[in-house]
Amino acid sequence: MSTLTAALNASATALDAHRARIEVAVSNIANAESTRGPDGTPYRRRDVVLSASPMGGDTFDTALGKASAVGVHVADVVEDQSPFRTRYEPAHPDADKDGFVSLPNVDVPEEVVDMLGAARAYQANLQAIGLIQDTIKKALELGK
Amino acid sequence: MTMPIGSIATGTPSIADARPSPSAGAAGKSSGPFGEKLTALLDSVDESAGQANSAVGNMMDGTGDVHQAMIALQKAENSLQLTVQVRNKLVQAYQDVMRMTI
Repeated sequence: MSTLTAALNASATALDAHRARIEVAVSNIANAESTRGPDGTPYRRRDVVLSASPMGGDTFDTALGKASAVGVHVADVVEDQSPFRTRYEPAHPDADKDGFVSLPNVDVPEEVVDMLGAARAYQANLQAIGLIQDTIKKALELGK
Repeated sequence: MTMPIGSIATGTPSIADARPSPSAGAAGKSSGPFGEKLTALLDSVDESAGQANSAVGNMMDGTGDVHQAMIALQKAENSLQLTVQVRNKLVQAYQDVMRMTI
């Protein structure tokens, strides 16, 4: 299925995917100082894994890998296994015996940059949807 | 407010049945009468309007996103516009035939 509607659906999946990226960046920023999570350990930075998924279901073109409209979906949200930051703060309730507190492995400036990228990608897809919409409108004007 | 659009088709039986007689005899062909096509088109408008409705509802109660609601609305508008264009052509053709002098 290679219709303008399929293109529209592909852009719509991209909006969902980049919305997820923004969400993850926002949770990383929000939890940059969270020293304990549900399991008692500090929050770990999360990352979104995006995967391309052909639109239009099980068609011959899809099976051949020749579908022209390829959407995107969030394949996984993974936790960054890099070491936690530490800060000397003996009065903190989560400090270890040497007085160091483990803080999430989140670098706030980096997250802000990631979020800007995700927001720009979202906007780019909005622009694409606008163009597809204009094209569909123009095609409908053929009947006038 | 949410009147099923499909009911319009039943209001125009004379247009829907105004098909060339040879195709009426050709039963079993994949292309059914035009009236059925029109009804199917109206049903699809109905369906996309329903989807748009639920997408907007989801957005309002926080389970859906703004873009999902807007895209559903745009799709509904597209299929409605397509139906309106098909209907315009249909009425125009009907009037052209009616104006024909014999």
